[in-house]
Amino acid sequence: MESIIQVHELRKSFKDMEAVKGIHFDVAQGEIFGFLGPNGAGKSTTINMICTMLAPTSGSVTINGYDAFKQKAKVRESIGIIFQENTLDEKLSALENLKLHCRFYRVPKHKRTERIQEVLEIVDLTDNQKKKVEEFSGGMKRRLEIARGLLHYPKVLFLDEPTVGLDPQTRAHIWEYILRLKEKENITIFLTTHYLDEAEISHRIAIMDKGSIIALDTPKRLKQQVGGDVIELGTEDNNAVATQLQHDMPEAEIQEEAGVLRIKVPSSDQFISTFLQQIRIPITSLNIRRPTLNDVFLSYTGRNIKAGPA
Amino acid sequence: MEGIFAIWQRDLMKFIRDRARLLGSFAMPILFLIIFGGGFSGTMENLVMNQTSEIENFNYLTFIFPGIVAMTLLMTSIFSSLSVIQDKEFGYMKEILVSPVSRVNIAIGKMLGASTVAFMQGVLMFILIPVLGVTYEWSNVLAVLPIMFLLSCTLASLGLLIASLLRSTQGFQLIVQVLVFPMVFLSGALFPVTNMPAWMDILVKVNPVTYGVDAMKKVMTGAGDLPFAAQNALGLNLQLFGRTVTVAEELLFLIIFTSILIALATVSFRRANA
Repeated sequence: MESIIQVHELRKSFKDMEAVKGIHFDVAQGEIFGFLGPNGAGKSTTINMICTMLAPTSGSVTINGYDAFKQKAKVRESIGIIFQENTLDEKLSALENLKLHCRFYRVPKHKRTERIQEVLEIVDLTDNQKKKVEEFSGGMKRRLEIARGLLHYPKVLFLDEPTVGLDPQTRAHIWEYILRLKEKENITIFLTTHYLDEAEISHRIAIMDKGSIIALDTPKRLKQQVGGDVIELGTEDNNAVATQLQHDMPEAEIQEEAGVLRIKVPSSDQFISTFLQQIRIPITSLNIRRPTLNDVFLSYTGRNIKAGPA
Repeated sequence: MEGIFAIWQRDLMKFIRDRARLLGSFAMPILFLIIFGGGFSGTMENLVMNQTSEIENFNYLTFIFPGIVAMTLLMTSIFSSLSVIQDKEFGYMKEILVSPVSRVNIAIGKMLGASTVAFMQGVLMFILIPVLGVTYEWSNVLAVLPIMFLLSCTLASLGLLIASLLRSTQGFQLIVQVLVFPMVFLSGALFPVTNMPAWMDILVKVNPVTYGVDAMKKVMTGAGDLPFAAQNALGLNLQLFGRTVTVAEELLFLIIFTSILIALATVSFRRANA
């Protein structure tokens, strides 16, 4: 696949601190790219540089074939940004906010009405378009910002904590909209979030810490790297099962605790399919726990390595 | 170009919807009209009539009114630039800054927004003309309009430059307090500034309002056609390097002031968010 974002040896130093230490990554066209890291990791600095808002100390960023530091206007046309904080004009109506955006981005005049109605429909705000934004709920404002970010058909949509401060139901809705859109337009999405369950949606995730990218892979592989899955199994004869497993699958680590077998395996998918075919002893309980992205995150950023899977 | 227009229109739309602001900005000029127009006019009229016999039926209010209008322009254009800081505080500035609109066009759009608001406010002052009992030639009133707009542009650019350097509205209020009143008093808007001490005279000459006020008074009252002695008595013989400046030169100064200030504001926008 073609790369829509290319970041090469990007560096940024403030007075006495190196905030970004020469990072390097590519984002493919149509990819959902998760960008995680603890506060102060250099995430915001990196995003600001990619979005043409901050000049780097050295290195290069190319978006949609344009140099982010020499062809700023071209890059700005190619990207849409949904900021963490509200950037709507609350004194104006939803429609007026969208109209202004069309003009800033020089959306062709004859297409404006059609596009505005199209994005309003994606985020279910068609019936509220004449209302002033100050009358909107938090979730509605977020949806309107997403609609606005899409209005100029950006190639890349930057979502900076798109669901922060929203209730779980609204969060789920926002994601529904984002994915609906992704399917429709094949937009590339560059996502930062604190909710790690949301980052799960990404095709690939980069984890940044102390100015460097310390891990970059698919969520699945990142989790595999942290360690295997844990299977908690209860049977009518635990000893017999344990003996059999030890024989069939030497790579599994087995412990018995309070009448439950705790089996750690590299991959539970593979284990379960073989295990279920072989077992003759009736099972009373079965629980599979996979390492979460939280485990990955904690293990990579070194904040709490023991929080990884047991 | 469309970016300029969009930014301009947004500020204008918000001004028209905000009735309180519209009415509130009338209070100060009216107060000054009462004090300087009503309270001072007797004294001033005697002074002027004693100096020259060439003016008959001198009405000081006729001469103070364009000054008060200029003061309205000054206050409104500078306070309207405050919208830049409000946009920063409420986040909308980010939406503008990440868009492909160039920084120069952002500065020009914001400047035009504030100056149009000030201009409209200044024109609204004209409804007081019949109430005050002063009279002006229609052609003179029309001729003064472009000067008013130009002066508004200069002052809005100044406000914009200050606003682009600040993050909070509080800092802006403070600077404006320190700046606006000296600019009014040292401009000749309210009383002649012809016989000032040397150091104050320098301040008068670097103050862009001085040139705007002088041009407005000359054009609106038709005093530009009066004999030199009469102009002198009215404090209208603004001199620079030993010669009297013409209205055309004054307008040129305003254009130069505006260009420099806009350029500085653009640089400031660029640095704020490269």
